[in-house]
Amino acid sequence: METLRSIIEIASVFVLPALIVGFPLYGLLKKVPVYEEFVEGAKGGFQVAVTIIPYLVAILFAIGMFRASGAMDFMVDGLRPLFGLIGIPPEVLPMMIMRPLTGSGSAAIVLDMINQFGEDSILVKMVATMFGSTETTFYVIAVYFGAVNVKKTRHAVPAGLLADIVAMIAAVFVVRWLFG
Amino acid sequence: MLNYIWAGLIILSLVFGMVYDINDLASDTYRNGQSFELTIEPTDPETTDARRVPVDVRINPAAYQDFYGVSSTPDSVYSGVVIRNEEGLQLRFAQDVSVPEPWATIRSETSERDNDMRGVLTGWSASGGTAQVSFQEVRFVKMRAIAAAALSMAELAVELALGLIGVLALWMGLLQIAEKAGIIHSVVRVTQPFLRPLFPDIPKGHPALGMIVLNLTANMLGLGNAATPLGIKAMEELQTLNAEKETATDSMVMLLAMNTASVQLVPPVLLVALMGLQINQLIFAIIIVTGISLIVAITAAKLLSKTKRFRASAPAATTEG
Repeated sequence: METLRSIIEIASVFVLPALIVGFPLYGLLKKVPVYEEFVEGAKGGFQVAVTIIPYLVAILFAIGMFRASGAMDFMVDGLRPLFGLIGIPPEVLPMMIMRPLTGSGSAAIVLDMINQFGEDSILVKMVATMFGSTETTFYVIAVYFGAVNVKKTRHAVPAGLLADIVAMIAAVFVVRWLFG
Repeated sequence: MLNYIWAGLIILSLVFGMVYDINDLASDTYRNGQSFELTIEPTDPETTDARRVPVDVRINPAAYQDFYGVSSTPDSVYSGVVIRNEEGLQLRFAQDVSVPEPWATIRSETSERDNDMRGVLTGWSASGGTAQVSFQEVRFVKMRAIAAAALSMAELAVELALGLIGVLALWMGLLQIAEKAGIIHSVVRVTQPFLRPLFPDIPKGHPALGMIVLNLTANMLGLGNAATPLGIKAMEELQTLNAEKETATDSMVMLLAMNTASVQLVPPVLLVALMGLQINQLIFAIIIVTGISLIVAITAAKLLSKTKRFRASAPAATTEG
């Protein structure tokens, strides 16, 4: 496991420079006017960022309000019996609700739980696995669809959320199986 | 779906915020207008006549719990200062000390900038002894908080979006070169057999597939910075195949689902920073879970696209391809 990880880690260090150098280098060999093409493509960066703004504002302010309202405490209380039933510790519930909504918020939860339970605790392992194996779904939706001005997202939200829910429940059981 | 979730988040925050605030009012959580008894001793007898008297504030934990009806206890001694002015005596705790609820909330509501507990002091003699302190009244904490959060998050959203400009420009420039040099085309040719089944509406040899491969690879290697621009570029390519520009195609949803499942072989930098070396133990767990979520995401996107409701809303493909 350790060696596999270092191999992947080294690969991930070299991929970026390899691409950044490799693309123009290969372009040069293929007689592409690399500088001109780079600038031409890069022009799009500003436009895309600006296009994303309304989508990101819409998603983030709604999530920000939700976080600030204390709604989570109520939801955690409401869901506790249900999750107890399928064997999920109630301490990880805030993470399960927060993860798809906000990246910084869920990182804060991991940090809180490290301070509260210690890095070694199985609860921290569960939330860290949840954090590492899922994405901030609503942020990804806002950015990716926002960039091309798609407003009708069809089944993207249900598919993304379903994957999140299954992943987070799986995290509980996988961690318990590996470390429990 | 997104319409309902979005509106739901906003409405729920109002509802829960109101429930919270009304609950606060009903149970008088902050004991508005009442005064609390504590003991205040000057730390230095020389200064008792001064305008600012440094003091030690002693709180009886039982009295605190009884007064506020909570189970948390304050520290036994806080340092602070008593300030004399025309209006009388004011007690200020030292900045940033750790106080239990509900004092923590009272402090953050009444002294946001300095972060020191402050209250009006009565019945205190400069030689020390018991005194009554009453804090400014606190109401509608959550209402204020959700309004503030909405405004600050709106600002943050713009910061985040504008912060992407540089990285976006860099990658879009590089990809332009890659496309002209034929690199994307080669990537498409090699990976086509594996990925076409997931994205059946992308024509053979179309650059969209190449961008998708690059995006997924960057994700796998934990290169979040590069994955986003590559994903956006992939969306742009997919959009060229879309006749209804406001509606997501099946392929777009599939790409999105695969991204939210976040196939990761290398854990995100942030998690490594939080967990330190402990992360080594978790790599295996993360890979298993991320694999499960990828399978679920692909299956869900595929099956949902076949349901009546989403088949009806599927946009037509452009004819020019």
